[in-house]
Amino acid sequence: MEIMQVMGSLVCTNRVEGFAHQNLRILRTPKGKLSVACDPVGASPGNWVFTASGSAARHATGNADLFTDLTIGGIIDHWSPDG
Amino acid sequence: MLICKVVKPLVSTNRIADFQHKHLQVVLDGSTQKVAVDAVGAIPGDWVICVGSSAAREAAGSKSYPSDLTIVGIIDHWDPDAAKEMAAGKPANPSAPSGSGGAK
Repeated sequence: MEIMQVMGSLVCTNRVEGFAHQNLRILRTPKGKLSVACDPVGASPGNWVFTASGSAARHATGNADLFTDLTIGGIIDHWSPDG
Repeated sequence: MLICKVVKPLVSTNRIADFQHKHLQVVLDGSTQKVAVDAVGAIPGDWVICVGSSAAREAAGSKSYPSDLTIVGIIDHWDPDAAKEMAAGKPANPSAPSGSGGAK
């Protein structure tokens, strides 16, 4: 699992049903690569979170039928990027 | 999941039968070009969300569909320049139309 920072939300109306009503967040790795993740915990921009990727991400949303390969597992209480 | 830009359709007549009739699109992930199965009907120039691993197979058709990258959504608004700023660390929100979900 990796540590990433939430940068903002992503609005995507035209999408497959497999996404159900999942919130989509834009995440940034410490190295600066952007990616999109499902958010069952409700993180806000600036939060540092840890994520589950691959097929584990599908189970992390609570509904294994969702089509995701990256899901936010939780919001980290205290985290400094170089820490 | 990746944010990619659809470049053009990929036409491959001589391909394995498991791909059935699904459309393939050439997508641009940053600077690398990849091939993704199109599950939503994107057109060239669209900014889309692509998913990988086992979700890509199910999004494309069935659990045994031979895809490792599938387009699952077309982004409403996406500004590549604002995205570069975000990659640098400023939590701007290029995709929030004015007044939607106060993610500021």
